[in-house]
Amino acid sequence: MPELLLPGLMMILGAALVPVLPHTIRQIWMLVLIAASTYQCWHIDPGVHLTSSVIGFDLILVRAEAITRPFALVFHIAAALNVIYAMHEDSRMTAASGLAYAGAAIAALFAGDFITLFIYWELTAFTSVFLILAGRNPRSFAAAMRYLLTQVTSGVILLAGAVVLVSSGSGIVITSLSAETLGGALVLLAFAIKAAFPFVNGWLQDAYPEASVTGTVILSAFTTKLAIYMLALCFASTHMLIWFGVVMTLFPVFFAVIENDLRRVLAFSLNNQLGFMVVGIGIGTELALNGTVAHAFAHIIYKSLLFMSMGAVLFRTGTAKASELGGLWKRMPLTTIFCIIGAVSISSFPLFSGFVTKSLTIGSAAYEGYFWVWMALIFASAGVLEHSGIKIPYFAFFGHDRGFKVNEAPLNMLIAMGIAAGLCVAIGIAPEMLYALLPYEVTYKVWDAGHVLGELQLLLFAVLAFAFLMVRGLYPPEIDSTVLNTDWLFRKAAPALWRMVANPIMRLWHAGLASTTHQIKVAVDRGTHISRNNYLISGTATIGAAASLFLAIFALLLGLRYMM
Amino acid sequence: MSDPEKTGSKMTLLARNALRVLVVSCLALTALEFVIHRHAYFETEGRPLFFAVYGFAAFLIVVGGGVLLRKLVMRAPDYYDTREDKDA
Repeated sequence: MPELLLPGLMMILGAALVPVLPHTIRQIWMLVLIAASTYQCWHIDPGVHLTSSVIGFDLILVRAEAITRPFALVFHIAAALNVIYAMHEDSRMTAASGLAYAGAAIAALFAGDFITLFIYWELTAFTSVFLILAGRNPRSFAAAMRYLLTQVTSGVILLAGAVVLVSSGSGIVITSLSAETLGGALVLLAFAIKAAFPFVNGWLQDAYPEASVTGTVILSAFTTKLAIYMLALCFASTHMLIWFGVVMTLFPVFFAVIENDLRRVLAFSLNNQLGFMVVGIGIGTELALNGTVAHAFAHIIYKSLLFMSMGAVLFRTGTAKASELGGLWKRMPLTTIFCIIGAVSISSFPLFSGFVTKSLTIGSAAYEGYFWVWMALIFASAGVLEHSGIKIPYFAFFGHDRGFKVNEAPLNMLIAMGIAAGLCVAIGIAPEMLYALLPYEVTYKVWDAGHVLGELQLLLFAVLAFAFLMVRGLYPPEIDSTVLNTDWLFRKAAPALWRMVANPIMRLWHAGLASTTHQIKVAVDRGTHISRNNYLISGTATIGAAASLFLAIFALLLGLRYMM
Repeated sequence: MSDPEKTGSKMTLLARNALRVLVVSCLALTALEFVIHRHAYFETEGRPLFFAVYGFAAFLIVVGGGVLLRKLVMRAPDYYDTREDKDA
């Protein structure tokens, strides 16, 4: 009866011991907890398993759906990879918060009602913020505060949605919702913030690259995919999500071209990949939902791999800026190979994981006759190749040799990257293992010769375009810069707007205050003058008392004037 | 200490070989277009070398769009830094 212990709870509670354990025992402890949690979650079949009544609400503490198992499995894989990847460092804060964060995300997968979800939703926010704080500089501190504010706001909106749902008689059970009702719209907004929908995506590119080397890897796996999971449960077949998803696949590719920080490029890339998943949810057919789940599974692994490779580069060289990197392939050959495997996986090259998963979503758009959606997804695939397939490995490991005299990544990092790379290849070669986990039977022929040919043509001719631009010297240079994103709205625009509104009011206030002070001073001076000349007060009271008296008279006069 | 010139020539050779492989691969894929039947869901998709042309064009559009976007959204690296951060 593994469901009697709340899924994820052993990882959350186990994290409390992490700070006090010696280094080696700590690593073993975390891996044992993750293994035990994997065993527990794997054996939870779809259905409601544990309920509780609290202050009149029937909470569903443990419930599994058809898509819960693949998400839970890949969350555990990511958690284990993170532990291995971070073994070289002695940050107890990162270790504890990373484990608790993963546990909270896993627990949220099994939440059957919005109240329970809200608790874990906020717990993921509060545990993960330490990973950004681990950047240990003023920029990461500020980014962490903005991140926390955004995540907590999402939770508050989720709770507001739950309250509206309850008051409208819909109950608190997590189920299919309509975005056209107020409660449904609020819940959708909460999910949209965490899934980094257009215009609420800025937190992702703002915060993730500011985290520590290992923190960014951990962050990349859970929050956004939890939101995707919840969107799939509540808003499958919601048509407008198709177009939100299309925009999500498209706009980040343009930003990624000009972004110089390669970890931020990956954050834009993450946003783009989420778009494919959101399109699948919006289409909502069995093929499309299979595509979303499969893509999320593969994406967590290859995105972790890419973040790990850039983390290794940052760890060894001290920078992740394209304008400062290049030529590392000779110094870090294994990291280069692992990064390339991640790059070809995300680019959907045949025999790698992205191809056998993303094809389901794009295929579902074609099946359902969404021509422009299909065109956009194909276009975005070429964009993915540009930023994650070419830009990341090229500028870090090839390009201009910067003469870094660095060692290969630490062994534990290589092991984590090697496992992730192996999974990318294994899923790509034998997708049946992953397909068996999906909620519906997969009938799509991913290895159709025409389909493989079309995909290879798309990708290799896109690479040819890159070669053409490089040979001609037309590819834009990498420039150390800040690329404005939607976080500009509350980092610059909102304060400027506030100043624009507040400044006239404050000027008026200060003018009024100065005038009043002057009038009081005049009154006090006059009173002092009279008392000195006519001996009216000074003989019986101090100057202070006289001033107080005149002030009181003045206030009375002002009050009377105001009332009249 | 790596010799920049030596490294540069090696990289150039590597790049040159990679380019050759790429061009040959693209030619092979173009030839295969007339051998392998591609099942098309849309009329546009069924046109010869649709994916090749679309992939090439999409890449150029993405890069070109990025260059235009840079004029709009690129700022100095310390654009968001406060006065205290700069002083530090």
